[in-house]
Amino acid sequence: MPDGNKDTGNPVIQLRDIHKAYGDIEVIKGVDLTAHRGDVVVLIGSSGSGKSTLLRCINLLETSQAGEITIHGEDVSWKNKAGGRVTSDPDQVRRFRTELSMVFQQFNLWAHLTILENVIEAPVTVLGKNRDEVEESGRALLSKVGIADQADKYPSQLSGGQQQRAAIARALCMEPQAMLFDEPTSALDPETEAEVVQVIQTLAAEGRTMVLVTHDMKMARDVASHVIFLHQGKIEEEGPPSEVFGNTKSERLKQFLSSTH
Amino acid sequence: MCSDPSSLEGFQWLLCYLTTAKHMQFYGSFGIVMLLLVVTVPFIMVFGFLGALARRSGFAPFRWFGLGYTSMVRGVPDIAFFLFVPIALDQFVEFSRHKIKCSDSTEPIYQGNDFVVCAAAKMPLGSAPQFFHEAWGFTLAVVAFAIVFGAFAANTIHGALMAVPKGQLETARAYGMNDRQTFWRVHMPQMWVYALPGLSNLWQILIKATPLLFLLGIEEIVYWARELGGAKTGFFTYPHPDWRMWYFMALLFFYVFLTWASQKAFIWLEIKLARGMTSRTTGVRA
Ligand SMILES: Nc1ncnc2c1ncn2[C@@H]1O[C@H](COP(=O)(O)OP(=O)(O)OP(=O)(O)O)[C@@H](O)[C@H]1O
Ligand SMILES: [Mg+2]
Repeated sequence: MPDGNKDTGNPVIQLRDIHKAYGDIEVIKGVDLTAHRGDVVVLIGSSGSGKSTLLRCINLLETSQAGEITIHGEDVSWKNKAGGRVTSDPDQVRRFRTELSMVFQQFNLWAHLTILENVIEAPVTVLGKNRDEVEESGRALLSKVGIADQADKYPSQLSGGQQQRAAIARALCMEPQAMLFDEPTSALDPETEAEVVQVIQTLAAEGRTMVLVTHDMKMARDVASHVIFLHQGKIEEEGPPSEVFGNTKSERLKQFLSSTH
Repeated sequence: MCSDPSSLEGFQWLLCYLTTAKHMQFYGSFGIVMLLLVVTVPFIMVFGFLGALARRSGFAPFRWFGLGYTSMVRGVPDIAFFLFVPIALDQFVEFSRHKIKCSDSTEPIYQGNDFVVCAAAKMPLGSAPQFFHEAWGFTLAVVAFAIVFGAFAANTIHGALMAVPKGQLETARAYGMNDRQTFWRVHMPQMWVYALPGLSNLWQILIKATPLLFLLGIEEIVYWARELGGAKTGFFTYPHPDWRMWYFMALLFFYVFLTWASQKAFIWLEIKLARGMTSRTTGVRA
């Protein structure tokens, strides 16, 4: 199984009533989200609705001020700090992050490392795995995303689509429990976009757990097991894609969907 | 052959003239300049990193110290520092040694305008061989250069650390790296590309500043060029008119060559380090 062997029956990711504010401005206003093993939760919503922020709250790149985050049944531990809270266990934070690999809109491949080095960096440095073994699986993953021949190039020598596929290989090489995608295709031109969409579809079909932010409604329809429509930091509508797209209830979502076509 | 220079002519005379003991010291002083560069650079880098890291520290007093250090050196003329640091350091060391070694001394250290310590506190001791006096002077010079140039290096390194795109560091965190790993695996390797132009510039300035050793009483190349080039009357073994121009021209070539060669080296290094870190990494390096 691609998602590892940690099957406790608990959801891989569970958020309860998450609140997040920047200063006085609340941008996430009480959101629940559950991703069981094999779920593909797709977050949609207009620009500024809080999709990225929510995703970044999951792997603790952003600190939410209230609500619970549970990874595989284990609660993120918090301590109070003037005007809010911070995580209290740095080891736990890092462990959770290794279990939730992130793919960024701007790829964020490390510019000083070759593609293969990018892929094996965290498994070797953070997880302490054997370099030769990781290199072997790294190469296999690069073949899987179709860029085996680019392994020894630097990120700047690759097209956007190739870079994003490399970034996906990097995420996979962590053997994560879940993958977090933040608009993985938004920085790409239409031709290369298709390459990346295809990789994501393959991953979804393999039963990987994913939380995916996207503006691509076609991809959302194709890969989602659950769709969440965020509006101004709140869930306006959610459900299986057939319901959300085929039998839309909220006026705002109707408007949003018609504006994206 | 050189025992009776007055009988020599042309090329032979010149050969003997150029190999006198004083000329050997002159050539040796080029070595002193190179030695100063080689010895100071590691200290400059250490001071530079400590200064830069202090400025980024989460601990406020370190941050103030780092800021104070870098801005103080920036705001004060270099020459003032080169004169101040060795004297201050010298007096500090002798003062401390006086307090320890001559604790029973009743003589005040500051006698009017004079700074007087007991003989045992002298640094180096009055009885020490000449070599120690020169080595001590050289050490003070190294410290002075390291403090002044370390502050410039700290500015450069601080700026370079800030120039590394946030996304690169955030990604390191997102993949579970701790602060140390993020710093050593991503921040440092990427920082060099931004630091190198500044450091290369600093190195050129450092080369050009080496004649300041003269100010610190070290007999370096400018001193010797003046000394040897000046007109010599018939009382001297090798009388000659004012040849300072030729001597200074030799210095000129030395410095031009040194800066030219190091420029080449830096360009090579920059290309090597910049592998992959060019502007085509859209977004990532915005
Ligand atoms: N670091 C920050 N400081 C202050 N406000 C922020 C910060 N990051 C995001 N915001 C605000 O939070 C809100 C949600 O931003 P977020 O990036 O999560 O939106 P999004 O749904 O991902 O939008 P997009 O589709 O444009 O990526 C926006 O109003 C944004 O201006
Ligand atoms: Mg976003």
